Amino acid sequence: MTVTGTTFDDDTRRGWRPGRPSRASLGEWITANVILVVLVGLIVAIAIYDTDFISANSVRNILTNSSTRILVALGAGIVLISRGVDLSGGRMVGLAAVVSASMLQTETYSRQFYPDLPALPLILPIAVAIGITTLLGVVNGLVVARLRVPPFIATLGMMVIAFGMTAIYFDQPPNNSQPISGIREDLSALGTGQLALGPLSIPIIIVIAGTAAVIFWVLLEKTVFGKNVYAIGGNPQAAQVSGVNIVRTLIAVYAIAGACYGLAGVLEAARTGGASSRYGELYELDAIAACVVGGVSTAGGIGRVRGIVAGVLVFAVISYGLTFIGINPFWQQIIKGVIIIGAVAFDMSRARRTR
Amino acid sequence: MTRRSGAFAMATASMLLLSAVPATAQDATAAEGGLPVADCAAPDKAIGVAVFRFDNEYLSLVREAIGAAAAAKGAQVDVVDGQNSQPAQNEQIDLFISKALPAIAVNQVDRELANVTLEKAKAADIPVVFFNKEPLPEVLSTWDKAYYVGAKAEESGAMQGQLVIDYWNAHPEADRNGDGVIQYVMLSGPADHQDAQIRTVESIKAINDAGIQTEQLQREIGDWNRAMAIEQMGAIYAQHGDAIEFVLANNDNMAIGAVEALKANGYFGDSGRFLPVVGVDATEPALESMRAGELLGTVLNDAVNQGQATFNLACVLAGGGTPTAENTGYAIDGQYVWVPYVPVGPDDIQ
Repeated sequence: MTVTGTTFDDDTRRGWRPGRPSRASLGEWITANVILVVLVGLIVAIAIYDTDFISANSVRNILTNSSTRILVALGAGIVLISRGVDLSGGRMVGLAAVVSASMLQTETYSRQFYPDLPALPLILPIAVAIGITTLLGVVNGLVVARLRVPPFIATLGMMVIAFGMTAIYFDQPPNNSQPISGIREDLSALGTGQLALGPLSIPIIIVIAGTAAVIFWVLLEKTVFGKNVYAIGGNPQAAQVSGVNIVRTLIAVYAIAGACYGLAGVLEAARTGGASSRYGELYELDAIAACVVGGVSTAGGIGRVRGIVAGVLVFAVISYGLTFIGINPFWQQIIKGVIIIGAVAFDMSRARRTR
Repeated sequence: MTRRSGAFAMATASMLLLSAVPATAQDATAAEGGLPVADCAAPDKAIGVAVFRFDNEYLSLVREAIGAAAAAKGAQVDVVDGQNSQPAQNEQIDLFISKALPAIAVNQVDRELANVTLEKAKAADIPVVFFNKEPLPEVLSTWDKAYYVGAKAEESGAMQGQLVIDYWNAHPEADRNGDGVIQYVMLSGPADHQDAQIRTVESIKAINDAGIQTEQLQREIGDWNRAMAIEQMGAIYAQHGDAIEFVLANNDNMAIGAVEALKANGYFGDSGRFLPVVGVDATEPALESMRAGELLGTVLNDAVNQGQATFNLACVLAGGGTPTAENTGYAIDGQYVWVPYVPVGPDDIQ
């Protein structure tokens, strides 16, 4: 399934492209790396306000807070690049959190979701949770690619369905919609444990999110599958003419996104020590915001993994940094909104100039 | 307005807790829990129960309690989910009225719009018991077959404050810098939520009224959930560290979030380091956290008695009676039944 032609050359991915300072002027480099500039600017501004902000602890906290969001944003990002949009991500996070937590409670906990369930190997409930969300992703892909339902509508439907499934599961006796808690040590270790690397101790959750980002980078930017995703996003007709199997590729795109949401849900349960049906609510919009700020185009075909990661980090820095210096939380909302609009407006004006 | 919890209230509260907590945890029937049984005949038709949203954790407990109360009485209930939408709930009320149900119990989606529900019920002469979300007094007073069952939010704040006072007085080491002032962090619920506002203010007011000075190091507004509280507390701890002497959260989810963040900073468990955190709701995870020696205390919003009282009033009204302390088992204050909150401190947990 090789694709030739000019439909997906490097220019179609120019969303967040590191320029080459050696050859380009500083101005051009800044233009090409606006998200990085925003990120550094934010950190500098907060550090000027309070120098204590610059610490290993801050870095660790910000990366930890970003971990599940990176997973959701990677899922949302691959869908956006394929010229789709996925609104079902947040609710799938909630579904996976509830499913995995319900089967991984300590036997001594007083309000058991499954009172008679024997202790399962850790991997089994996690696989079930991720399996379910992956399957829902496949359904999303089928509805979009086969039934030709616009992605916005298809995933809006799935968002509602996924929440309904979570609520039914969560409401069954004897749980009756009570928050699930008392999860096992081995699950919570994924969310709060540390991995010793010589003198450094790195939270496991960061390692997982980082690994996922690297896998995504290889998948999207180094494989034929990735090129096909960009090709479909850039120009579906041209991609089809070039021999890309659109149906199969889109199903894979939504399935991969579903798997990301599932893993994010499991980690969300792990780091909070529990789950409820409200978990993940509106995470999909945060993820889409992070993607567009990171240079992913909502029109498809444009966006890079490091841009997505940077977009998530921008919001994590805002939220952590402004809490750290004690700024009124409502200002966070305004600053986030300004950055979302500003970043996209900047991208648009740059796109006009380069045309 | 604040009702201070005296020794008698505390004693009653502890007794209530002993009966109430196991009842929620084990699905006990109303009769087994030692709850007041209404003096009424089970109506022929179901009593309509409109809940504002099924996925709300607290209302699920009330729903469970109403169901248990009805089952114990051999009565039927028709419970519907308002899905947090007032228009959807209005349609459900219309349906109840067209079915000519003998009484309806309504957990209004938007308390300010309870007048619409009341007028519909009044026109059809179907008694209505509002619960958990209080109609405006001038609305409720327009019809004598309308009642409200609920808790006084300021009580929860005052009781949370009392938990802080008790710990502070018993543990001189809690005053880490020895200045006699409580340096605290407040994790509040959404700014537009009545309970959040009241708990934030009343808890501190109770502490100050007891003659203890306070200093707020930081206040953050959360969304009642754990994940956000973990992140907020992580940042707050990074900023203030060991200057923090107390953490007050408007609900248990956020309190547990604070506990999780403190765990990540080397508190609780085997560390031997402790920082008092208090919440409100007495959810099962909170009680478990207390048993593990993490969370200091919480305040029970008594879902079992709210559900039982709601059913008892509706049942009496359905039979054409007027609710009294004798036939419902709950003190009737005009058109109101106030179900007290119950403080849950370290001594209440086995």
